[in-house]
Amino acid sequence: MPETLSFLFSHGFMLRALAVGSLISLCCALLGVSLVLKRFSMIGDGLSHVGFGALAIACAANIAPLYFSIPIVILAAFALLAMNEKGFLKGDAAIALISTGALAVGVMVTSMTTGMNVDIYNYMFGSILAMSRADVVLSVVLSVAVIALFFVFYDEIFAVTFDESFAKATGTRVSAYNMLLAALTAVTIVVGMRMMGALLISSLIIFPTVTAMRVCKSFRKVIAMSVAVSLVCFFTGLLVSVRFEAPTGASVVCVNIVLLLFFALFGAVLRCSEKNRLYRFKKPLCVLLALLLLCALALPFFGSTGRPANEKPQVVATGFAPYDFARQIALDNADVTMLLKPGEESHTFEPTPQDIDAIGRCDVFVYGGGESDTWVDGILSSIDRSKTQIVRMMDCVALREEQLLDGMQSEAEEEAEETEYDEHVWTSVPNAMKIAAAVCDALCEEDRANENNYRANNDAYQTKLQQLDAAFRALADEKQGQSFLVGDRFPFLYFAKEYGLTFYAAFPGCAAETEANPATIGYLIEKAKAEGIRTVFKVDLSPGNVAETIAEGCGAGVQTLWSCHVIASEDFQNGETYLSLMRRNLDALTNA
Amino acid sequence: MALIDCKNVSLGYENRIVAQDLTFQVNKGDLLCIVGENGSGKSTLIKAILGLKETESGHLHYGDGLTAKQVGYLPQQTTAQRDFPASVFEVVLSGCLSSKGHSLFYSKQLRQKARDNLEKLDMLAFQNHCYRELSGGQQQRVLLARALCATGTLLLLDEPVSGLDPLATAEFYKLIRRINRDYGITIIMVSHDLQDALSLATHILHMKGDGAFFGTKKAYLESGVYRAFTGGESHA
Repeated sequence: MPETLSFLFSHGFMLRALAVGSLISLCCALLGVSLVLKRFSMIGDGLSHVGFGALAIACAANIAPLYFSIPIVILAAFALLAMNEKGFLKGDAAIALISTGALAVGVMVTSMTTGMNVDIYNYMFGSILAMSRADVVLSVVLSVAVIALFFVFYDEIFAVTFDESFAKATGTRVSAYNMLLAALTAVTIVVGMRMMGALLISSLIIFPTVTAMRVCKSFRKVIAMSVAVSLVCFFTGLLVSVRFEAPTGASVVCVNIVLLLFFALFGAVLRCSEKNRLYRFKKPLCVLLALLLLCALALPFFGSTGRPANEKPQVVATGFAPYDFARQIALDNADVTMLLKPGEESHTFEPTPQDIDAIGRCDVFVYGGGESDTWVDGILSSIDRSKTQIVRMMDCVALREEQLLDGMQSEAEEEAEETEYDEHVWTSVPNAMKIAAAVCDALCEEDRANENNYRANNDAYQTKLQQLDAAFRALADEKQGQSFLVGDRFPFLYFAKEYGLTFYAAFPGCAAETEANPATIGYLIEKAKAEGIRTVFKVDLSPGNVAETIAEGCGAGVQTLWSCHVIASEDFQNGETYLSLMRRNLDALTNA
Repeated sequence: MALIDCKNVSLGYENRIVAQDLTFQVNKGDLLCIVGENGSGKSTLIKAILGLKETESGHLHYGDGLTAKQVGYLPQQTTAQRDFPASVFEVVLSGCLSSKGHSLFYSKQLRQKARDNLEKLDMLAFQNHCYRELSGGQQQRVLLARALCATGTLLLLDEPVSGLDPLATAEFYKLIRRINRDYGITIIMVSHDLQDALSLATHILHMKGDGAFFGTKKAYLESGVYRAFTGGESHA
């Protein structure tokens, strides 16, 4: 338990998440009471989808997401209110229209510009790392506003929530309160959705109130209980997410579900004992349920989350290639951890709080530095460089711009201002040699006692890499003038350039999209036919449907190439290495 | 001067005129029942009297020093209200909102007023009960107490007995009569039950699309409107 807690408070990003999360939970609980009781709780869901759409547009247009989406979502909230009042469309239909509409626009904009990248994935399901200083400030201001509203206008809010028409008739400005509540809900959702996820944020509004309603019999108590429930669920959910490496939003919602079930049971027991006049059973039963609930809530506190303390130097690497280099050089002298679990999607990878903790504690951290590692920039500042050696693979080699090969489907034609460098540097064997050497230097720096071992292991490894390099050069001579076709993402730019091999491919290396349009496929089929290509390649772990379509179109076979970015679980269990996978590539290309 | 003076008023609902040329007065102590078929604009008229809805044409005035804030209103209950987690006292107290002014909390006097009104309707014993656990008749009495908190002069009731069983209905009408006679509160009530309306009312407003009848109960019973409405049977 102390370890979980101390971990929570030892990182800036966790403190920010804790602050924003608890403030947002508080606001959601307060606003939620009014929204749920007015039968308007789905407004939260509708607005979060609008928020998603707005964030997608902001992302595409490169505008600061908060300043763009807050006004948009507030406008949407007013539009919903107006539609509801004017009777143009009633509540549920209006909300469904706006929410699905906004979601569709968001997805359209995204697919036309950046593709479904990390940011978009995070907006959908939330990321605990997304909270910045601005979010903290905004959520403090927001919660002060919400609390002040409920303190000063408590009676008005009760009147408007309980009976709009009566309140209106007795001179309360109902629509002003409705607009105020809607605007605050809009801001709450925009701030909260990047942490909880657009698809989950509305649960924070609905669950606590519904849970509190199970047992509370007055409005005041419902408000107090709903705030308490919301905060307890958030803290427990956060601990659960840290403990079990699960996304925060989903963890919080799951804790909410558990609490709702418990409260429903409480309510049933209370009602039952009152109805049947079994007052003497009421107390023991409630105590029993409360104890059970406490046990359930305390569950995430037990067991340690910290990794076992170890004398050996700790190496953390992002992908499989750097992991394998470090493994070959360290052998038994250091522990190497790979962040990208076997089979995981690399381009939407997000570290868990544990991962970040591991990076903070490790002695050597090896990462790519390209598009899929943008999350690293956010946490580099929290790494103590006097204790941790950092190896950025893209710094070890000469970079090449990600380029569009002949026929390749591009993602964003207009976005030419920013040069993107291909991050799959290790696909060229000479690059691998440089990276391995850099990893070796870093290890020696951290662990002088074993310097000789590392140097010796590195020398042995470099020899093997040289043999591999020679084999590829021989292949390149043999295949001079022949073209290869990759019906997939193309992570082999460095490889192709190094050995002077000609490739056609469907998408750039980091393309988030792998749904080819018919024109691309048609073009590649024609190319394959014209050049007599007999093998279409797919990349390891990709579904390969584009490659299969092309192969079918030109009567070729499908073979696999391994990118060594993420390794398949099966290969990992079989102890495959960078060398063995590159040998497979060698064979596959030789036979093509 | 009349509490409410209504002259040649037309009412619309969603761009459609539902009632035309309404003329009537409500004087202190009256118990006016508004009857008529569904869609004849009864609830719309109540909303217009409350100032929640604009009239299409004509004049609708408050008189005798009556202001909008002094009108008590018992709206038709919504389904959301029936299971609202609030205590009876909280609900009744919310009727005092318009007299609360700018102070942050309800004053002692207003809290006492809420209790007094609960007492008047024999509901004081329930003040700490949960509103959603009451029977339909009890809920309606709580809402009536709330309306009394908002007014000492005029009550507007919109179909107050719909959904109540006969026993609860009879009891509720007894209360309405008591409020009207013993406390001198003027009442305007929309009812879909003509017989009930006739047993209670001093005046009747019978609404139908092209015109309306307004007069005392006696005049109404002798009118052609009443005979036509009850299918020509004369009423004893």
